[in-house]
Amino acid sequence: MSGLRYQLKGIRRDRMCILTFLLPVVVGIAVNLLSGVSFQSISETSFGVVRSDAADDMAAWLRQSGTVTEYETLEDLCSAVNDPSTQMIGVIQAGETIRTFISGDELEVNRVIADTLPQIYENRTETLPVKRTLIHTETDNEGLKSLLIAITLVTAMFMGCTFNAMNIISEKEEGIEFINQVLPMTTRSYVVQKILLGFIGGTDSTVVTALICMRIGLAQALPFLLIILLSAYISALIGLFIGIFSNGLMIGIVNIKIVMILFLAPPVFFYLIVPDNAAVFWISYILPSSATFYGIMDLFNRQFAKLWPALAALLAHAVLWSIVYKLVQMRRRP
Amino acid sequence: MWNEFFGLLKKDFRLMLSSKFFLLALGSFVLYSCYINFVYVKLDQGIYPVYLYDPQDTKSITSEYVARVGSREALEAACADRYSVGIDLSEGKPELYLLASGLETADYYRMIWGEAVLNGTADGQAEVIGADNKEMKSRREITAEFLFFELSAVGFLGLASMLFKEKQMGVIRVHGILPVRRSMFIFSKLLLLLVSDLVFAVVLTGVNLGFSYAVEVLPAVLLQAGILSLIMALVGFLCAVRLPDFKQFSLFYLVLAVFVTTPVFLAGQTGIEWGWIIYHPMYHLFAAMKSAYFSMPAKSAPYYLVCFGAVLLLFLLACQTLNREMAKEG
Repeated sequence: MSGLRYQLKGIRRDRMCILTFLLPVVVGIAVNLLSGVSFQSISETSFGVVRSDAADDMAAWLRQSGTVTEYETLEDLCSAVNDPSTQMIGVIQAGETIRTFISGDELEVNRVIADTLPQIYENRTETLPVKRTLIHTETDNEGLKSLLIAITLVTAMFMGCTFNAMNIISEKEEGIEFINQVLPMTTRSYVVQKILLGFIGGTDSTVVTALICMRIGLAQALPFLLIILLSAYISALIGLFIGIFSNGLMIGIVNIKIVMILFLAPPVFFYLIVPDNAAVFWISYILPSSATFYGIMDLFNRQFAKLWPALAALLAHAVLWSIVYKLVQMRRRP
Repeated sequence: MWNEFFGLLKKDFRLMLSSKFFLLALGSFVLYSCYINFVYVKLDQGIYPVYLYDPQDTKSITSEYVARVGSREALEAACADRYSVGIDLSEGKPELYLLASGLETADYYRMIWGEAVLNGTADGQAEVIGADNKEMKSRREITAEFLFFELSAVGFLGLASMLFKEKQMGVIRVHGILPVRRSMFIFSKLLLLLVSDLVFAVVLTGVNLGFSYAVEVLPAVLLQAGILSLIMALVGFLCAVRLPDFKQFSLFYLVLAVFVTTPVFLAGQTGIEWGWIIYHPMYHLFAAMKSAYFSMPAKSAPYYLVCFGAVLLLFLLACQTLNREMAKEG
């Protein structure tokens, strides 16, 4: 225990460590402050019209299906449609009907909307006997904002990895590692001390970030906490691996960068692109962060039954990596 | 004087080699190119799929947007993604079945889209006024983004790692008594970084845009890359001289990566309307880089004046800081 006290003392002097853990909290606050509205407008279909030309009923009709931006002249409208960062569809009135134009680089969904909009507009008054069933499901998912929060939380959980790796590498550079080897300390207590630091830090910063960004009911609190604890443990362990295999700060940073990219990019990609019953989706559980990420998104979507596979995957990872670490240690110290 | 400068250059080049700077750049290049070619250009979002449950085969819809399902359960399961639209024709009156997506306008459009597909009125062709297709746009967009990130964050790190190594070895102290002008010390590093950044820009653009397109945009891109590289290298130099160790520096780097570049990407890529973004200096650099990749009209003279002023100011500051640091070291 006294060893741990010295470790904590060392951290207190190191502003870098403290700030590493504060960073996700700050990002969480920033994401939370950004209003949902500015994110929502991205996922809406956006139409552009020319002010003088747009009849009121056309603009009103368009406004039901998306956001409508008015421009003074046709040139302004054309340059807004051509702007590569927008997905805008230009709409102009042509007698009783409308004409649409796009820049040609849009996503398929917007291209098809632009193609078919004039005909849908023409038939807008023909009401057919159709029963419309729109089911409102309960969800906390706010699209991009939820995604950003989930990414922040996953980063927070995996900060323990950065912290542990940096800690060990700097000990290596300062020669403390050699001192550790002659100290009367067992490998077990060394590993426990090292893991515990990253683990506690990662857990704390995730819990604080989650309290700021998410509303979690009591029923979900336990599985969520389990996700956090397991992920923080795994990440602290991975930090130890990076620490062992990096021989300098620069190489350590490169390794951390690679691990961070590997941990963040594939889960987001698989979550957005691959349907969740495909084989590839199951393969993505090879990365521990995928399980964490899917678990958090399921919490947002209130699909609690899906949490258990994520938890099982995390548990398997925790056990597996612990064993691997033990084997590596045994090989290094014959 | 030139001999001394070449000596410095040679030393810095060796330092870059030994700190694995080029290896890092090569690794980033491979990673970015793989992501662009195997993932990013393939990303797309399809139109809302329409699922039809029609046990009596009353309608003969042959639209490309329709998929038939065998039962009501299958219909509901297919629509569970809150994106698809279901049509149930098993009873007399057609029923549109869909789960709310959370966006009212999108839900409204999905309903009229479902009806249009049901009536066979989803057809037509919009006028195309742009020059790029989707793939080319994606390539230009993501290459601009990666180059900006690489230059602003990674180049910055490279210079700092070099300088910290020199600090550790006591090179700064030795320089105090060498008959070399202080500005040369900064200048040789800047020159090497600038050249390596420009080479990186050429290779990244050539490979990911295709060489015929790359030739068109490269002059403008290299100008912007040069400006960005100089500014970031000088900022990196300043921070590296001032901050006591590399760990503190890497934290600063983390802050830079998260708070400086993320809002810029969000505003530049997604078309979010944030009024305050124009006060963000990096936003203008990013916008200039992006318009260079899209061959859009270049920035005006005031922009270049400000950039030039910034580089000059940073250079003078760097000289002064270095002088002070040498005085401190004795």
